[in-house]
Amino acid sequence: MNNSATEMLVSATIEFLRSYPPFDRMEPEALQFLGEHVKLAYYPKDALIISPESGVVRVFRILQRGKVLARQAGEISLMEHSILTLGPGEGFPIGSVTAQRSSTNIYTALGDVFCYELSADDYFVLMQKSPVFNIFCTQYIASLLSQSRQQLQMQFSQRVAEQQTMNSPLSSIIKKEPLSVTPDTFVREVVGLMAARSIGSMIVVDDEQQPIGIFTQSDVLKRIVLPGASLDIPIRQVMSLDPHTLPLAANAYDAALVMAMHGVRHVLAVDEGGRLKGVVSERDLFTLQRVGLRQIRQTIDSATNIDMLLQASHDVRQLSLNMLAQGVGAEQITQFISALNDTLTRRIIQLNLDRHDLFGIEWAWLSFGSEGRDEQTFSTDQDNGIVYICTDIMDREHTQLRLLEFARDVNSDLDKCGFPLCVGNIMASNPALCLTLEEWEEKFDNWIRTPEPEALLNATIFFDFRPLFGQYNLADRMRLSLLRQTRNNPLFLRMLVENAVGVLPPLGKIRDFVTDADPEHPGTIDLKKFGSRLFIDAARIFALAHDVPATNTVQRIKLAAPLMNVSHEDAAATIDAFNFIQLLRLRHQHSEQTQGREGDNLIRPDDLNEVERRILKEAFRQARKLQQRLKLDYQL
Amino acid sequence: MSWFSRLIGGAKARREVVLLPEQRQALEAWHSLPATDLHCSHNRGRYVVVDVESSGLNMKKDRLISIGAVALNDGQMDFNDAFQIVLRQNQVSTHANILIHGIGGSAQSEGVDPVEALLAFLGYIGKAPLVAYHAFFDQSMIDKAMSEYLGMELEQIWIDLAWILPDFFHFRMDGRVALDDWLQHFEIENILRHNAVSDAYATAKLLQIAIARGTYKGADSPASFIKIEKARRWMHESR
Repeated sequence: MNNSATEMLVSATIEFLRSYPPFDRMEPEALQFLGEHVKLAYYPKDALIISPESGVVRVFRILQRGKVLARQAGEISLMEHSILTLGPGEGFPIGSVTAQRSSTNIYTALGDVFCYELSADDYFVLMQKSPVFNIFCTQYIASLLSQSRQQLQMQFSQRVAEQQTMNSPLSSIIKKEPLSVTPDTFVREVVGLMAARSIGSMIVVDDEQQPIGIFTQSDVLKRIVLPGASLDIPIRQVMSLDPHTLPLAANAYDAALVMAMHGVRHVLAVDEGGRLKGVVSERDLFTLQRVGLRQIRQTIDSATNIDMLLQASHDVRQLSLNMLAQGVGAEQITQFISALNDTLTRRIIQLNLDRHDLFGIEWAWLSFGSEGRDEQTFSTDQDNGIVYICTDIMDREHTQLRLLEFARDVNSDLDKCGFPLCVGNIMASNPALCLTLEEWEEKFDNWIRTPEPEALLNATIFFDFRPLFGQYNLADRMRLSLLRQTRNNPLFLRMLVENAVGVLPPLGKIRDFVTDADPEHPGTIDLKKFGSRLFIDAARIFALAHDVPATNTVQRIKLAAPLMNVSHEDAAATIDAFNFIQLLRLRHQHSEQTQGREGDNLIRPDDLNEVERRILKEAFRQARKLQQRLKLDYQL
Repeated sequence: MSWFSRLIGGAKARREVVLLPEQRQALEAWHSLPATDLHCSHNRGRYVVVDVESSGLNMKKDRLISIGAVALNDGQMDFNDAFQIVLRQNQVSTHANILIHGIGGSAQSEGVDPVEALLAFLGYIGKAPLVAYHAFFDQSMIDKAMSEYLGMELEQIWIDLAWILPDFFHFRMDGRVALDDWLQHFEIENILRHNAVSDAYATAKLLQIAIARGTYKGADSPASFIKIEKARRWMHESR
């Protein structure tokens, strides 16, 4: 190899690649390998670079110059959302080269196009050499996901700015123009102003608008009323000198620190010239701090009445919104909502226990459905029940009555705190759901033995139970007997599978999505019914069939996967898909609620952006994969 | 063997060239390579895009300092098939000249022995058609050096993109378009202007464009490019 020439061309190539991801993070040796093994090709405008007809893709291309249009093959009309434009530094087609199959997309040059081309063999060597490249390629879907998450973040960034935290600069906390007076203003006038505007402090400034003193409400008492001072003296005689100031760019923490260190309640914000720009009071900071995880928990734990809990439940929503805006994943948000709702529910139960004597009864409060799975979204109604032990059959009726009375109050308090009463009466106050351990076992047993449609539907709600309060071991015993029953009943599982695969993911044959399932809402997809439910149902079957005690869908998939010989990557792809759908639901519910509507799960694919539509499509494909697996396992 | 008689001393009186046995062997090996089929498609053959740096623009007096070349194999540029060499100079070129190509005095005097350098170049190009922009200059400088150091007349096929491109792209017709104008037109970056390899790289990208356009218009082989060039030259001269 003659080399100064090759070296120069290779290093120019590396230089180019290094300004684009993932090459910017790529290991130097791997990048060198890539630079040495690519060839440069040219395509004129409109040239077909790759099509499904060109067969198995043997070349990985990295765009050096120009733009390439990628569009879905076989579309009748060129719908906008199936088109994607690639620019310099982008590699394609990652999926088909990796899988060594033909491309599903058609790639054409939009103008003069130069491409670095790497043979598939070298592509695989590179994947082995470079963990960075490997991760980039295999987690292609995941990277699309993060892209969409970023877009989501941007969308909410405006709101984030409004959602203030202790990191916010003082300039964003100050709401009102500061009120100030000159040092020669009479006390009478100052006090009059303070009363009229109902403000707690008056700032005294000099001719340059620089604060030189402060006079607060408590000073009125201490320096005027008690000493019997005249109201007709200038304010400078009674004001506190040299008030504490901070630059506008300082944040709420700084202000809190000044207040704590000097025992003052007001800090003045000034601009570069030392001119007064605003007043930050202790109260301003307090309202900032209220919406925080720890604060909410404290509020809940120390609440002594329903009103306080009501405030806390508002805060839970507020904080979940913040988390959504900060790009926290759906899994964390739904778990977080569930966790705080659990705390809230427990507090409500505790408050009611003060009024209801349940002494001597062994019982546990159960959550069902989404709450039982730790997957609550913003709109969740109540799904709960009670399990108890009754040692003496003679006491049963009486015990149940005591529990039911108690449950009625809890249900009604939950309703007040933003968890509407369940329309289907799946509540602890329903005598059919306030049962002894034996009765629950018998109920489950009946459903499993006689899997009628009704029983199968019940299974999807009640089998996802979780204890929330009381004797947790009662729920554990219920779980043990449930798993024992299902394990030994392949027929029941088969029926569940039949039910689960009965709902198909809304993937269209011609169009991307089927959006006319609901005649009342054309153009929409119910993401609960045709989205998350597909994953939830499949995960439940995996769990019941493989003795997995978890109720959370993600947990179920994670725990069942190794038992079913499903690779870690496949399980991760399923989980990503599920989480993405949940994220879309959360976002949609939030936007519905801010517009004062009841949060539903009907999303319009047309409202999604390009990336989201592609991921949603992929997510539905994952659902289809799960269903195919079920059909295979149960020979349907 | 006509080349051999030329080597011994052809029609013109030529400086006596004495080659070492290995050098003569290398030269013979090159001569015995089969000729390239010029009617074979662009995308099934090899082109070598050449650019030279010299001590000045006077083709009679000035000397060849460096050759840079990049090959297109089956239409694709292969960085591993690239060439660069600096010929050893007994007399270093002027300061102003050095500033153009950046090959300093010591690099010039530490260059490769001209005979070895040219043999290496022959070995690299084989019988592939050579391509350059304003090829006459590159061709003259290389031919002159071949004759001086190897005592041979290099009868390689040359294709001049300065004649070919206007036939395909009518953005300026006056025939006096500079390389940089084409590069700018197609937004082709030059890694390092006036570096022989870099200029060859940029010119090779132009060749790729010409090949794609030519193939589309039916000019799908080196032979058809040669024909276009000939026709254009004739038109130009008869004007």
